[in-house]
Amino acid sequence: MPLLKTVLIAAAILLPAAWTNAWDVPRPSEYGKVIIRSSPGGTALAPVRFDHWLHRALYTCRLCHVDIGFAMEENTTGITADTNVKGFHCGSCHNGTRLHGGKKIFASCSLNAKPEEGTRCSRCHSVGKKVQKEYDYATFTEKLPQDRMTDLIDWEKAEANGLVHPADNLPGVSLQRPSLNAQKDFALTSRSAWMPDIIFSHKKHVMWNGCEVCHPDIFPSSKKGTVKYSMFDIAAGRYCGLCHGRVAFPLNQCERCHAKPVQ
Amino acid sequence: MQKFISMTVVLAAVLSLVPCSPAGAQGAPGPAAVSARDDWKAEFEAICAGTQDSAAMTSDELKNLIDRCDKLRSRIEKLDETPRKVYLKRLQMCRDLYAFVLEYKEKK
Repeated sequence: MPLLKTVLIAAAILLPAAWTNAWDVPRPSEYGKVIIRSSPGGTALAPVRFDHWLHRALYTCRLCHVDIGFAMEENTTGITADTNVKGFHCGSCHNGTRLHGGKKIFASCSLNAKPEEGTRCSRCHSVGKKVQKEYDYATFTEKLPQDRMTDLIDWEKAEANGLVHPADNLPGVSLQRPSLNAQKDFALTSRSAWMPDIIFSHKKHVMWNGCEVCHPDIFPSSKKGTVKYSMFDIAAGRYCGLCHGRVAFPLNQCERCHAKPVQ
Repeated sequence: MQKFISMTVVLAAVLSLVPCSPAGAQGAPGPAAVSARDDWKAEFEAICAGTQDSAAMTSDELKNLIDRCDKLRSRIEKLDETPRKVYLKRLQMCRDLYAFVLEYKEKK
């Protein structure tokens, strides 16, 4: 019994703390930042800072997370200088020859990098360094629509307004697919009576993600309503929370999901 | 000159009668060998390009694709470390999706 009491007290202290952290939204330039650390025995270079805001403006989620094969969890893909040099992972685009907007995309890695190449290495291996980046967040996003509450970019609106055109095909890497017929939108019942139900739009999600990003890894249940998940799960980074609150719009924009008018 | 031409014609005729020797394959790989080596990639593309249509496929079509994924897996496992790592992950995503859709259809 004393054990149960201790557990309950600890839960009462820790749960709200975890909940609060999940709702904190980082600065827009930091939102979606991923730090890629080298594996034990790997490079001695600084960890890589990867900014989603730059890449997602140019490419769909699917292109990187399906076609190129980047895992959805940090530091689980197994990116190495070797995979990059051989044209996989970052090297799928960053190979020194592929063009973007008529400009060559810099090569990501060399197996025998010379000291004079250090500046190029630091473009990605930049954690803890003062690096002058080619793309600055404020300049890059100044014309993109922002959410009034969080100042984060509203990517859905940006694409709808023709301000960004994320590419969904990388020649030589992506598979030739037919155009996708999205499943119908459906409602998910909210677990709180006071909260409007969720309208889940397949169309909005498949446009950027395809099917494989979400099924079955993130949403493994093949029968609607079988798995019950709560905002606690989502705030802990599971289910919708794997993207929303990290890269896709944050959890405090309730009305973007809980959109079904209350009857 | 006449003798040279007739010798050339005879030589060409003789050479044309010699069957293609398998020894020719021992040098640089010919197009057929290259094609065989890259067959796995064509099969990978053929299998995984269908993920977008998976919801419209029949159970038999899905089972067939899952079976092809399993067969292809053993071929990809024989590749060098880097392509093996990348393509096994990509293949697994396809297979998992097909299995997911099949399960969905069978539960329906």
